[in-house]
Amino acid sequence: MDNLQIGRHISGQFNEDLERVINNVMHMGGLVEKQLSDALASVEQGNIDLAKQVLSNDYQVNNYEVRIDNECTRIIAKRQPAAGDLRLIMAIVKTISDLERIGDEAQKIAKVALESFSSSQQDLLVNLDNLGRRVLEFLQLSLDAFTRMDCDAAIKIHQMDEKINREYEALMRQLMTYMMEDPRSIPQVMTVIWSARALERIGDRCQNLCEYIIYFVKGKVVSHSTAEDIKNLEAK
Amino acid sequence: MNKWFKSGSPWIWLSAGGVSISLISVLGLLWLIASRGLSYFWPSELYQFDLIDKHGAKSVVIGEIYNREEIPVSQLAHLNLVLDPEQEVLERLLIKTGNRELVSLDFRWLLSHYIQKTQTPKDLVSVERRTNGNFYGYIESVVVDGNEVDSNQLDKLLTRVDNFQDKIDELQKSDIGAINYQLERLRLKTRKYKFQDKLTAELKAQIDSEVATLNQSYIILEQELMGYRQAISRDHIVMRAMDGQLVTINFEYILKVTFNNQLSIVEKTAMFFSQIGYFLIEDPREANTEGGVFPAIFGTVLMVLLMTVIVSPLGVVAAIYLHEYAGKNAFTKLLRISVINLAGVPSIVYGVFGLGFFVYMVGGSLDQLFYSENLPSPTFGTPGVLWSSLTLAILTLPVVIVSTEEGLSRIPSEMRFGSLALGATKAETLWRIILPIASPAIMTGIILAIARAAGEVAPLMLVGVVKMAPNLPLDGNFPYLHLDRKFMHLGFHIYDVGFQSPNVEAARPLVFATALLLVTIIVTLNMTAVSIRNRLREKYKMLEH
Amino acid sequence: MISISPRALATGSDPSLASKLDLNNLAPEQVALDINKLNLYYGKKQALNNITMSIPKGQVTAFIGPSGCGKSTLLRCINRMNDLVDDCHISGEINLHGNNIYNKHVDVAELRRKVGMVFQRPNPFPKTIYENVVYGLRIMGENNRRRLDDAAEKSLRSAALWNEVKDRLHESALGLSGGQQQRLVIARAIAIQPEVLLLDEPTSALDPISTLTIEELINDLKKQFTVVIVTHNMQQAARVSDQTAFMYMGDLIEYSDTNTLFTTPQKKKTEDYITGRYG
Repeated sequence: MDNLQIGRHISGQFNEDLERVINNVMHMGGLVEKQLSDALASVEQGNIDLAKQVLSNDYQVNNYEVRIDNECTRIIAKRQPAAGDLRLIMAIVKTISDLERIGDEAQKIAKVALESFSSSQQDLLVNLDNLGRRVLEFLQLSLDAFTRMDCDAAIKIHQMDEKINREYEALMRQLMTYMMEDPRSIPQVMTVIWSARALERIGDRCQNLCEYIIYFVKGKVVSHSTAEDIKNLEAK
Repeated sequence: MNKWFKSGSPWIWLSAGGVSISLISVLGLLWLIASRGLSYFWPSELYQFDLIDKHGAKSVVIGEIYNREEIPVSQLAHLNLVLDPEQEVLERLLIKTGNRELVSLDFRWLLSHYIQKTQTPKDLVSVERRTNGNFYGYIESVVVDGNEVDSNQLDKLLTRVDNFQDKIDELQKSDIGAINYQLERLRLKTRKYKFQDKLTAELKAQIDSEVATLNQSYIILEQELMGYRQAISRDHIVMRAMDGQLVTINFEYILKVTFNNQLSIVEKTAMFFSQIGYFLIEDPREANTEGGVFPAIFGTVLMVLLMTVIVSPLGVVAAIYLHEYAGKNAFTKLLRISVINLAGVPSIVYGVFGLGFFVYMVGGSLDQLFYSENLPSPTFGTPGVLWSSLTLAILTLPVVIVSTEEGLSRIPSEMRFGSLALGATKAETLWRIILPIASPAIMTGIILAIARAAGEVAPLMLVGVVKMAPNLPLDGNFPYLHLDRKFMHLGFHIYDVGFQSPNVEAARPLVFATALLLVTIIVTLNMTAVSIRNRLREKYKMLEH
Repeated sequence: MISISPRALATGSDPSLASKLDLNNLAPEQVALDINKLNLYYGKKQALNNITMSIPKGQVTAFIGPSGCGKSTLLRCINRMNDLVDDCHISGEINLHGNNIYNKHVDVAELRRKVGMVFQRPNPFPKTIYENVVYGLRIMGENNRRRLDDAAEKSLRSAALWNEVKDRLHESALGLSGGQQQRLVIARAIAIQPEVLLLDEPTSALDPISTLTIEELINDLKKQFTVVIVTHNMQQAARVSDQTAFMYMGDLIEYSDTNTLFTTPQKKKTEDYITGRYG
């Protein structure tokens, strides 16, 4: 929270508004994290109840998005934030839309748990589980960095996405082999592919979260910069 | 009660009371002056009192009632009057009997106890005369060129005399006055040349011939004058006074003949106003106790205007220097304090200063330098209207400086900056922006100066005011405005008439009338200045957000 | 195939990026005013510390900062209004066309004709609208009626006031509303065709709508003049200016283009000030 320095505005009202928004973002992040971990657990354990719970909880994530969005709009209208405050609000607005998407992706993963898998196909899910663990870690780290507005951490974990992508590609190749070997398993494999794809997407969105942190702290939009450039930012 | 105190109403009452008291005193003052002063112009009834004194001797008194008072009987014990024992007071009348050539005193107290009969005969007249005051009595006969004529010819005869009199006045004042003035100048010129040793025979001949011409025309005019004089002294009237004596009054001396008791209220009103007009435009007569006060009005106004013309630029320039240019240091502060303190110096001190500095030093030097031909009789080295104006200008200078400075300091600095930021220099800003905006404040200063100056008498007595000035300071002879001349002043006129005249009793109404006039003139001058200021104020209204 | 790269498209369509100048390395023809190591003292108290900055030509430069930070003082230095303050002395230089305006033989009145100024409160002279506008020209000795009329119309049009006052040019300027008065004052300042126009909190005494009119006007004015504005209102500075300088306690803390300063200020003091934090 040090980087934020929210408590130092002359207007106490403004402080409260910003704190509330940030707390809501934290809660929303926590909720999304829980949704993802629950979805992954449900797939791993074949726990249909847990999967259903994930599906039914998604509306909470959506509610958070709408509420935070409104609050940000109000702050812009009433406080005309500038500089750091403005960048914070902009980062939050973008962050919550990404978090909401992560929530949606978690929902998609949970749907996989509802499918019935034969025991021979279970090892498909084991691979998925590995990827899921990695993505969940990425999400946790990103949210941590966001909580601390830790630019250095953000730059570091920004790299993680590449690993995830590589793992995703390996998984894809594996799944293709499955499909070629046993065309009857195609529907189940496709389901797994969808969820793998969802996980890959979550990785991208976590990367976005890191970029927003960098934007807030450094004031630079790095969405389209090369990894090299981002590395250089850390040095500055 | 406590609540009432807390509500603040006692203070409102107190302050309202203060205002009422000042208002009442101002109105009371005006009422007193106005009523006493204006009654002077109202043609009063003429009374004939038949008296019988305690020895049984009878007599008749004719005159106007000037005053009434009640005196306790106990004070009259020495007269041994036979009175009704119940009676505690007796009325006593002050009668103006006029006829100064017959009686030593033209005022007389009458105890009502002695009055047997009071009547107002219709044919009783008051004759206003050039000398010896009014004459009250009956017209016995009107004599025209030795022949007695009917008394209804009177008006016609009076008009005739008036016409001649006007001509005489004109001759004396303008034509003969001008010739005298020129002769005097020629005499001075000769003297001057003589002092400078430039008087050549040629010049002398030229001057002599001019003098001869002037003398010639003077003789002609004098003959004309003599003719008029003879013409007006042709007729006379014979009057019977209260004691039965017959008195002949030549028309030459008569100003007006009035049958006071025959006047209707309308005629009286008309006469009242014509008397006021007469008072305003005529010269005083008989040691100022009769006639008008025109020279005094003229002198007062001229002196105040001159003073204004002198003090305004001087005060404004001084204020501008103090406020705009002088450094903000201790010396400037000291200067400002001295200026403010100057306003508190008694006016007579200024009079002494004016006499010592202006009249003797400055005037004396001027005489040495420019008017040496006139010495030892001084030109500027003697009290005069210029020195009076200058003295009063010095006297009122602090007022103008202080209020101008006040006005300057109230101009928002944005005005100044606005002009300077447009590339104007400080002087341009002053002239085009600051002075116009400060003009209402300057006018306020001038108003205060006028109010103070018009009311000052004490210093003027030392530096230029006289009881009776032979000429006005403004006339038709070059250079028209004669700043070296002495002048008359209403304030001094009041003092002179009220306290220095031979007959204080007779002069009292005149004092009030003159006081009223003085107040009116000061108020008029002030109102003019106030209205100018208000117009300026409207024009340069400050920006009020 | 698309021939234009998306990057080029982006820069081409964004005017704020197109006009971005490198304030530290302006070409001489781009500089309107060059302030160099300017120090100002009121008596013994130093009010400006070593200010060095270049104000670009044809742009709006805003000075912001808390009260008493010296922004107005700096503005007044530019047309030597501080000369009017007792015991104020200055070291360093301000160059206009490469000439230091604090040189001994500079004619201050002449300088002020080149560097006009508008103040916080509208200060029309108590004269007619017309006389207000032509005041500067009259001071310069212009008396030709036609030329004065033309100049009056032109400047009133430039100040977006002509349509409102054209029928009452010869009425008192004090009858105008606050916003109109301020535009009149601007018209008066531009009537003498200055090169630089200094605005010292020109809208602080006006209502929000009048303020917007003036802001719009400032935007038009920069086509003809270099405008330097001091304002308390940060949003205003953000709206109207191309360059913003943040001053604090007599120091120039940060000077950069407005877009950068209001989104990503480089100095913590700037950040604290514009986001409303305790310094």
